[in-house]
Amino acid sequence: MNRNLSKAMHRISFLLALLLLVSSVNAADKKLSVVRVNVTTQSWDFHHPWGKRQPVTRRAIGAVLPGARVLVTAELVANLTYLELETPEGGRKVPATVEAVDYEANLAVIKTDAAEFLAGAPELEVAESAIGDMLSVWQLENNGRLLVTQGPMTTAEVAAYPVDGAFLIYRMTVRLQGRESSFTLPVVHDGKLTGVLMGYDAQSNNANIIPAPIIRHFLKDIEGGHYAGFPRISYAYSLTRDPALRRFAKIPTDVTGGVYITDVLKDGPAEKAGLLKGDVLFAVDDSPMDQDGNFPDDAYGQISVGHLFNTHHFVGDKVKLHIVRGGERKELEATLTHRHSSSYVSDPYIIDHRPRFVIVGGLILQELSRQYLKDFGADWLRRAPERLVYFDRVQNELFKDGPRKLVFLSRVLPTSATVGYEDLSSLVVKKINGVELQSLDDVPKALEKPENGFHKIEFEEDPKMIYLDAAEIQKTERMVQMQYRLPTLKFLE
Amino acid sequence: MTRRIWLAAASLFLVQAAFAQPNEIRKSLCRINNTAQEFNYRVPWLPGQMSGGSGTGWLVKKDRLMTNAHVVSNAKLLTVEKENDPKKYVATVEFIAHDCDLAQLKVEDPDFWKDTKPLELGVVPEIESSVSVYGYPIGGERMSVTKGIVSRIDFRTYAHSVMDSHLCIQIDAAINPGNSGGPVMQGGKVVGVAFQGFSGDVAQNTGYMIPTPVIGHFLKDIEDGHYDRYVDLSIGTFPLLNNAHRRALKLPEDDRGVVVTSVGSASVCFGKIKPGDVLLKINDLDIQSDGMVQLEGERVQMAEVAERKYKGDKVSFDVQRDGKLISAEVTFDRAWPYTHQATSYEPPKYVVFGGLLFQPMNRNLIMTYQFVNPRVFHYFAHFIDEEMYKERDEVVILTALLPDPINTYLDEFREGVVKNVNGAAVRSLKELAAAFAKPADEYVLEFEGAGRPLVLLRADIEVARERIRGRYNVLKEQHLEDEATQEAR
Repeated sequence: MNRNLSKAMHRISFLLALLLLVSSVNAADKKLSVVRVNVTTQSWDFHHPWGKRQPVTRRAIGAVLPGARVLVTAELVANLTYLELETPEGGRKVPATVEAVDYEANLAVIKTDAAEFLAGAPELEVAESAIGDMLSVWQLENNGRLLVTQGPMTTAEVAAYPVDGAFLIYRMTVRLQGRESSFTLPVVHDGKLTGVLMGYDAQSNNANIIPAPIIRHFLKDIEGGHYAGFPRISYAYSLTRDPALRRFAKIPTDVTGGVYITDVLKDGPAEKAGLLKGDVLFAVDDSPMDQDGNFPDDAYGQISVGHLFNTHHFVGDKVKLHIVRGGERKELEATLTHRHSSSYVSDPYIIDHRPRFVIVGGLILQELSRQYLKDFGADWLRRAPERLVYFDRVQNELFKDGPRKLVFLSRVLPTSATVGYEDLSSLVVKKINGVELQSLDDVPKALEKPENGFHKIEFEEDPKMIYLDAAEIQKTERMVQMQYRLPTLKFLE
Repeated sequence: MTRRIWLAAASLFLVQAAFAQPNEIRKSLCRINNTAQEFNYRVPWLPGQMSGGSGTGWLVKKDRLMTNAHVVSNAKLLTVEKENDPKKYVATVEFIAHDCDLAQLKVEDPDFWKDTKPLELGVVPEIESSVSVYGYPIGGERMSVTKGIVSRIDFRTYAHSVMDSHLCIQIDAAINPGNSGGPVMQGGKVVGVAFQGFSGDVAQNTGYMIPTPVIGHFLKDIEDGHYDRYVDLSIGTFPLLNNAHRRALKLPEDDRGVVVTSVGSASVCFGKIKPGDVLLKINDLDIQSDGMVQLEGERVQMAEVAERKYKGDKVSFDVQRDGKLISAEVTFDRAWPYTHQATSYEPPKYVVFGGLLFQPMNRNLIMTYQFVNPRVFHYFAHFIDEEMYKERDEVVILTALLPDPINTYLDEFREGVVKNVNGAAVRSLKELAAAFAKPADEYVLEFEGAGRPLVLLRADIEVARERIRGRYNVLKEQHLEDEATQEAR
């Protein structure tokens, strides 16, 4: 969304009204609480898992926090290859490193060894805002002046974040001007940092902001040294506004709210607490839930209970779940945990890690991940193979005994050993040499035991079964590697 | 431009030179006008939008016309016109075969048949030989002739049903809308029926005709007064081109055989042919390792052998199973029962209950609604290969809600696949209708995947029924059976 900024500038640059809201602070007057962040990233190419795409360099703005730290969005530093900080007026640059990053909460903290670099820059405190507050978005002019654009905060709600999960978001209306370094802009209220801008739509002038509560949670979590991440409860639910459903679920008349539990994740906190499909959850600790699954938050009013679980609490916290089951009230206790991306059947994101793969003969075997699907482009839902999109969508239904990986043949590098197999692609691999595959890790082991000199590869789909000559592919391995200039034939770490 | 006209005139002249009887052809040709109604799957109780078009027909017998199924589909009124006769005659469809896009028509008025002459069927023309296409393209009133050569003979999808593939001949003569159903002639005989082409921005100079084996198949099938549809082996096979694959299956290097990958329980081959079998011969014809056979001088797909069979016929296979050579015989005792992937020309089936519209999944439904739920498309695409038909005959989808106080909280169920009602599995739309007809205080519907149950109270439904019918002009609350099925009973 940040890409839209330059477009936006053209449209609004003549609006006088805007100028009234924009003020400039001369950098020479005093040191600013922001620095430029120059980032070079290079993502792995999931469709050619042995290689990276071309490097991309972007300039962004970071907010200076106490402890000589700089706060940016996690998206900015995803698949980082080089990072440096630069003074607002330009000129001086120092190398920097990422101290902590959470791709789900979309936040990262940057540090530099050049301690004096940030000396004198006023540190920003983190503070919440309320709906209606006038917030300021900070940008930088080329000469280092601060460009401040104001707009009202319009909403606070729980909404989907870029890679996984739903967290609190502030929304504001603001007419931003296009500037060269417009990623991850600090949003300030009363001189305090109230959020980091992570998305902006130049047409509607709506900005999405990672708000203070999420920033606070992130900063507090990294304090201990061990970053645990945001906790989850891991159930799915339906609203209970439908009177026919309320009657069916035998919700007592004095319980006015509640949500109907439709699914409970295997081995998740909710399941371990004993929550069942069909239960009605009507309160968490002392907070009652309404029919839409909202609780009365002190700061933002009725807001999704997800915010209570993932931001009011930390990993390891215990919560009491008040439920109705078969007309009877019950109380369950859940211990909140973080759900790691790799514990999904289809990882919602794989960042800073090479994709795992094994090439057998010329067959490229990979594990299904949403990252692989997203490499089909912005409209991956339509362009990615329909069957893999479906498996990603219904991943919780695939394996009854808990999540495991789905190994699939992504495509075939034509070699002398794969004549006749060239067109096979997007097939789920069930077994190799009779060994059922729980993940790619099982592949090398399975390849050790060819049957009568042949590797038998079994697919979920037609052609169901193919064979490779074990001795032949071993002999030609090096040739294939050279022919296609592959740095390696497998990566399983 | 001048040059092009001259060229066209030259070809026409050539046609005259070759057959010297365009006026004779006129006696076998007619223009067909179809006034049709297209069903609307969003309001399935309505008779549909008026539509129609025109095509070409020809005398296949002294008192019967042949044309494409798509020329006469959804017809409410068909009229036929001959050149040199001002009268429009009413025609009726006697047989229609949507799976191979052919139809046979009757005209009751004996005057129509005066001074007409049926055409004879020829054989499959040779590649590069010339053919002439006769018809009434882009609605013209006078016969038009184009000429070209046979470019390619292969298996191809027939666009009318989308699901079916048959032998098909590509020619480079211009075939335009209106040519459909018209004869393609060579040496004074019909060698094909013009039926489909490409729009100009996809490919130029490509037209397709239905060849005589397919026409002959249709004519023989209807001899008993009923069209049975094509029979089909309904198995999955994979070519055996890979050397290691062949050696692992202990096959000699003779470039013969394909391996069977799937045999669904609904297939006529079920129990006779097994996954893993290597098919070496079909009816004594060698099956090459890419799945082709040599049939009447042409290399064609193995399926073509089955294509030329009829209900009740048999085919035999030489099979290598578990290292042993055996033979297997398959009887085509039924046509393939699941046709949801083919375009339907039947009135849409549906049930309206409590303002909820339930419809069985088929191609038309998928095309109409453009569902976003990937589960629906998954059921559509994999109903057969994953043998979902073992669980259900039809996939019943809640496609729309007619908003009313009784269903105002039910929007989340749109695009849901119905699993059961009051605990009993729903295998078809008829079963759903039967479940709703059973008296009960409440109807609890469960859908595939995680989700809450949908609960409807009998009392509420009774109250809302007339209100919904009236407000939304629901002329009829359900349509459960295809007319063809009803006739068969």
